[in-house]
Amino acid sequence: MNFAFPSLAEPQHFSLAEKLLFSTLALASVLLFWRRFGVVLGKILHSKKDPGFHLAPILPRIRDFVWEVALQAKVIRQRPAAGLAHAFVFWAFCAFVLVTLNHCAAVFGLGFLSPDGYLGRAYFLFAALFALACAVGILGLFVRRFFLRPKWLGEKLSWESGFIALLIFALMATYLAAFFTADASPSTRALWWLHTLALFVFLPILPYTKHLHLVLSPFTVFFSRGGFSRIPPLVGDEDFGLVAGDSLTQIVSLQAYSCVECGRCTEHCPANNTSKLLNPKQVVLGLRDYLNDLGPASTEPLLGKYNAQQAVFECTTCGACEFQCPVGIEHLPILIGLRRGAVNTGTWEDDHGGQLFLNLERGSNALGISPSERDKFIQRQQLPIFDGTQEYCLWLGCMGSYDPKGREIVADLARVMRHLGITFGVLRKEKCTGDPARRLGNDLVFQQLAEANLEAMAKNKVKKIVAICPHCVRTIQEDWKEFGAPPIIEHHSEFLARHLHQLQPAQNQEKIVFHDPCYLGRYRNIYDEPRAVASLAGTIVEAPRSHERSFCCGAGGGLAFLGEESGERIGQVRAAELAATGAEIVGTACPFCNSMFRDAFAADSAAPQLLDIAQIAARALPVREPGNGGV
Amino acid sequence: MNNVLVVLEQRAGRIARIGWEALTAGVQLSGAGSLTVAVLGTDTEAQATEAATRTSGKIVRVEHALLAAYTPDGYTAALEQIIQSESPTHVVFPHTYQVRDYVPALAARFGTVLIGDVIAIESGPVFTRQLMQGRLNGNYRHSGKGPCFLSVQAGAFAAAAQAEGAASISSFTPVIDAAQIRTRPSEPFRAEAQTVDLGSAQTIVGVGRGIKSADNLPLIEELAAALGAELAASRPICDAGWLPMERQVGSSGQTVAPRLYIAAGISGAIQHTVGMKGSQCIVAINKDPDAPIFEVADYGIVGDLLEVVPALTEAVKAAKQ
Amino acid sequence: MKIVVAIKQVPDRDEPVRIDSAGKWIDESDLQFAMNEPDAHALEEALLLKEKSGDDGSEVIVLSAGPERVATTLREALAKGADRALHILADDLASRDALGVAQLLAAAIRPEKPDLVLTGLQSEDLGQGQTGVILAELLGLPHSTLILHVDKIASGIEVKRELEEGWYQTIQLPTPAVLTIQSGGNKLRYATLMGIKRAKNKELRAIAAAGLVSTAPPTVVLEKLSLPQRKKSTQMLEGTPKQAAAALVEKLRTEARAL
Repeated sequence: MNFAFPSLAEPQHFSLAEKLLFSTLALASVLLFWRRFGVVLGKILHSKKDPGFHLAPILPRIRDFVWEVALQAKVIRQRPAAGLAHAFVFWAFCAFVLVTLNHCAAVFGLGFLSPDGYLGRAYFLFAALFALACAVGILGLFVRRFFLRPKWLGEKLSWESGFIALLIFALMATYLAAFFTADASPSTRALWWLHTLALFVFLPILPYTKHLHLVLSPFTVFFSRGGFSRIPPLVGDEDFGLVAGDSLTQIVSLQAYSCVECGRCTEHCPANNTSKLLNPKQVVLGLRDYLNDLGPASTEPLLGKYNAQQAVFECTTCGACEFQCPVGIEHLPILIGLRRGAVNTGTWEDDHGGQLFLNLERGSNALGISPSERDKFIQRQQLPIFDGTQEYCLWLGCMGSYDPKGREIVADLARVMRHLGITFGVLRKEKCTGDPARRLGNDLVFQQLAEANLEAMAKNKVKKIVAICPHCVRTIQEDWKEFGAPPIIEHHSEFLARHLHQLQPAQNQEKIVFHDPCYLGRYRNIYDEPRAVASLAGTIVEAPRSHERSFCCGAGGGLAFLGEESGERIGQVRAAELAATGAEIVGTACPFCNSMFRDAFAADSAAPQLLDIAQIAARALPVREPGNGGV
Repeated sequence: MNNVLVVLEQRAGRIARIGWEALTAGVQLSGAGSLTVAVLGTDTEAQATEAATRTSGKIVRVEHALLAAYTPDGYTAALEQIIQSESPTHVVFPHTYQVRDYVPALAARFGTVLIGDVIAIESGPVFTRQLMQGRLNGNYRHSGKGPCFLSVQAGAFAAAAQAEGAASISSFTPVIDAAQIRTRPSEPFRAEAQTVDLGSAQTIVGVGRGIKSADNLPLIEELAAALGAELAASRPICDAGWLPMERQVGSSGQTVAPRLYIAAGISGAIQHTVGMKGSQCIVAINKDPDAPIFEVADYGIVGDLLEVVPALTEAVKAAKQ
Repeated sequence: MKIVVAIKQVPDRDEPVRIDSAGKWIDESDLQFAMNEPDAHALEEALLLKEKSGDDGSEVIVLSAGPERVATTLREALAKGADRALHILADDLASRDALGVAQLLAAAIRPEKPDLVLTGLQSEDLGQGQTGVILAELLGLPHSTLILHVDKIASGIEVKRELEEGWYQTIQLPTPAVLTIQSGGNKLRYATLMGIKRAKNKELRAIAAAGLVSTAPPTVVLEKLSLPQRKKSTQMLEGTPKQAAAALVEKLRTEARAL
C-alpha cells in the first residue's frame, strides 16, 4: 500500500565508530544524569518517613494521576492557552517514548518500529502530529516567557528555560525534518545525530533544572497526601512540625524538588496580591534551596536564611496555591508545618498571637470574651439546649456566640429551622473548635480543644451538627479526626439547599453576588448549594474571581485574630471587587467573610447590602417568631 | 469598748482624701470608745494641724528622721511600736498601694491578718469585702487577743466632716536603726511622655462612626479634657484618618482597661469591644437603642451624640467644681 | 540565681460563680481552674531573669499549695520553663487565713534558700494581696510590692514599682528578697508543645501540709458569702440630654466611683 504521506527517514546502517560514539555518549549522558539525580533522589529518600501516610485507597490516586498527569486537566483548565501548549509538549514526550527507544535501538540494528511497515509508519505519523503541536507549543511558550513576560514567572529571565525550549524544539524539528529527507542522504544522518545530541544533552540537564518535574511530578501527584490541606499528625516527643532539615519528610522533599516555577500559586495568593512578603512559590523553592545546600539531616532552622518567618505568618490558608499547583505540591501542609515548627517551639513571638493562644489555653473562645455572654445570648434568643433528643446540634462557634453579626446569622438560621419544623438544640458550653490554633500551628492548644470538645459531644450524644461557619465545619469534620470520631457535620448552606422548596423567594428581587468562602469552596467543594439559597434574593451575578478562583476575604489562617495587616487590606480588595459587579447584595456564607466585608464597607455609604444566606432564607419568614428581635 | 487607731496617709504634703474616709470608718468602729489618729513622717506638723480640723480626739505625731521617705521597714517598725504603746483594739488604714506594701507584714507581727479593702462595717463588728473580682461579697470577723487590722476601700465611706473642738496632739518617737531599713527607694517619677499612652489612661473617651464627621471631633475633645481622659477611636475613625492609628482600640489596635470608658457613637462591633471590655466602668452613648455596645455597658444613654456629649461635658465640669 | 515563684490555682475568671450550700465558699463542682494571672506574670519575670542571666545555673522553682488539682497548674508552669515544682498537698486551705497559708509556703521555701521569692500581686479569687508581704515577714527578708520589672545589680536587685496615678519609683534591695509582681509588666508567653514535652522530665515533688507546720487557729475568718445587691445589667439613663448627663455624672461619682 502506498501512502501519500511522507515517511520518516532513518540512516540504514551505522558504522562501528558510530556505534562506539553513540554508546559513549549514551553512557556519559546517563552517568551525568545520575550524578545529579542520584543526589536528589538521595535527599528525598533520606528524609523522614511521612507518618500517617497510606497508599490505600489506591483508586483515587490512579484517578487523580490519570486526570492531572495523563490528561493534564489542571494544567489546561486553570491557564487554558499556556496549559494547552504545555499539554501538547507533554503528550509529545509520551508519544516519543517509543520513538526514542526505537531511535536508540536502531543504532545496534535492533529497531522495532519500521518506517516501512504499517504499524511503524502509522506510529511515526502519529508522533509527528504531536511533534508539530509540541514545536508550535514550545515556540509559543518561549515567546510568552521571553517577550510577554508574565509577572508570576519572576523578574529574572530564565536562560535555563530558554535553553531547554531550544533543545525541545530541536528534538521536534530534527524529527519532523527527517520526513522530508531520504534514508540514504547525509542530511538524514546529520539530523539523526543532531537529534541524538539534543537528547543526550537534555538528559543530564534535567536534574539540575526545574525540568526535573518530568521525572518527579508523576510520582508527586501519585504520592500526594490526598484530600486538601491534609495536615499530618505529629509523632513522638520530638516532633514539632517543620523545624529544620531533619523534620522534612519524603513527601515534602519530593514536592520541593518538583516545583516547575510556573508561579500559578503566587499568581492567586491574596497576600502576594496585596504586596505582602509571602510568595508561595518562593516558600517551596526556599525548601529546595535548603535541601540543595544543607540536606535533609541539617539542624539549621528552615525559617531564617531560606524562608522568612514573617512571610509564612501572612498566609490566610485560603488554599488557592495548593489548588492551582499542576504538579501536586501541597502548599498548605508545608506552610502550616513551618508555622508549627515556630509556634510549637515558642520561636514565634507575636503580641496578638500570644494573646490568642493564652485565651484558648484557658479553654474558652478565641475572642477572650466571658462565656456568660454566650449564655445571655442563648437565653435572649430562647435557643433550646441540646439534650440528645433533637435531630441537630446547632453549633454556634466563636463568631456565632459572641459577634453581633454572627449572632444575627445564628438567630435567622434558628428561625428558619423552627419554621421548617426541624428540631435542634445548642450545647450549653462550647469551646472554640481550635481552627485558629490549628492553622497557626499550635498543636498543644489544638489538641486540648479538640479532645475536650469531642468528649463533650460524646457526653451529650451529639449525632448531627449544622454550623454557620465553614472553619468550624472543616475543623470538626477533618481536623478533629486526629483525636477521635467527630459527629457528622454540615454547613448551613448544604442544609438550607436541601429545604429550598420550603423557602420563599424575596418579594423584591435584586442582583446578588455570592462570595465563595475559601473553607466552603476550595476546601469543601461546595459552590452550588449556597448559590441556590442566595438566588432566593434575586439574580446571581458572579465576581470576576469566583468558585474555585474565589479571592480570600483575608480572615483565615488565624489572621482575623492577629491585628492589623501590612499593605493593602485583602478584605478591602475583595470587597471592592464584589461591589464593582454592581450587585445590590453581597451574599456570604461565613461569619468571618461577613465581618471583613462589614469593615470594608463601613466607611462607604453607597456600599451594597451585606447578607448571609441564612438571613436571605429568613427574610421571607413571618416577622414575629419566638426569640426574634435583638441579639 | 473599742480603742481605735486610725493611720492617715499624706500625698503631696496634704492628707489624702481616702485618709478622711478611713477616719469616718474609725469613728464608726470606735462608737463610744476612744479614737486616736496617727500621722507619720519626719516633720508632721502640717499633717497634724490638718488632722485637727476633722477630729477632736487624740492625734499622735509619729516622727523619726528615717521616716522621711516611705519604706516598709521604717513604717512597720514605727507602727509596731505605737501600737504596742497605745494597745488599740482596731487599727484602721486607707486601702492604698502604700498600706498594701507594709500592713500585712505589720499584722503578721501581731499574729494576725489584715482585713483589706473593706467596703462596709456592720455591727459585730463584721467587715464586708469583695471577692471574685467584685462578683461576691464576703463577711469577715476577727477573733483573738491582738488588734484587728483593717483597710477601707476608696469611696466606701464618706470623708470625715469638719470637727469642732480642739484635738489633743502628742508626739511619739519610735526607735529605728538605719540598719533596719533594707530598701532604698528613689524619687517617684512619671513615665516618659509618650504621644499616646492609652494603656495607662484611667479614663478614656472612645469615639465611633456616630460622630458622623471630623468636624464634630472638638465636641469629644472637650469632654475628654473635662474628664482628664485620653481619646480613643474605633477602627473606621482611624481608617478615615480622623484620628491617628495609635488611638485605635480593638482587635487590630490596643486593648485597654481603664477605670472609665465612655463609648460615644460606637456601635459595639466585636472588633472594638474586645479591646475595651475589660474596662471597670463602661458608659455607652448611641442613637440606636439596639446597638450591641449597650450589652457591655454599665450605663447607657440613647440619644444623639451631638446633643448628649456637650451636655455631659457641662455636667462633668459642674461636678468637678 | 535561684528564684522561687509561689503561684496559686484559682477558679477561671470567666466562669460564673455560685455560692455553695453552706454559704461559706463557692461551689467548686464543674469549675475550671487556671493559674492566677498576676502569678503568671511573676513566673514570666522569673523566667526572663533566668534567660537574661545566661547559663549560670539559674533555677526557677514553682511552688503552690492546694489539693490534687493544683498539680495541673504546676505542670503548666513547668511547661512554660520552670525547672522544678513543689506541691504542698493541702485540702483545707479555706480553713486557714493568709497568715496560715503563708506559714505553709514559708516552711517549704526556707530549705531552698532562694535568692529571690516572687509572687503575683494578688489572687483573682480572694484578692487580698498579702501572701507575698507576709512571706517576707516570716522569712525575715526585705520586700517590695506592685513590681513591674526586676533587674539584677551588683548589690542585689533594682525594681520598678508602680505607684498611684501614673507615678513610678525604682527601689534597690539586697538579695535574698521577696517581690510581688503586678500584671502587665511583661508579656506572658504561651504554652508550647515543646514545653509540655520537656516538662514530662521535670521534677514535681509533693509535700504533705501536715508535716510542714502546726496550724494555729486563724484570727480572721470568712463567715459568709453573699451576692452583691447591684446587678450587672445596663442602667439606661432617661430624659433630655441635659437630664441624662446629670444623672450619669451622679452615678459615676457615687455608684461607680469612676469619676
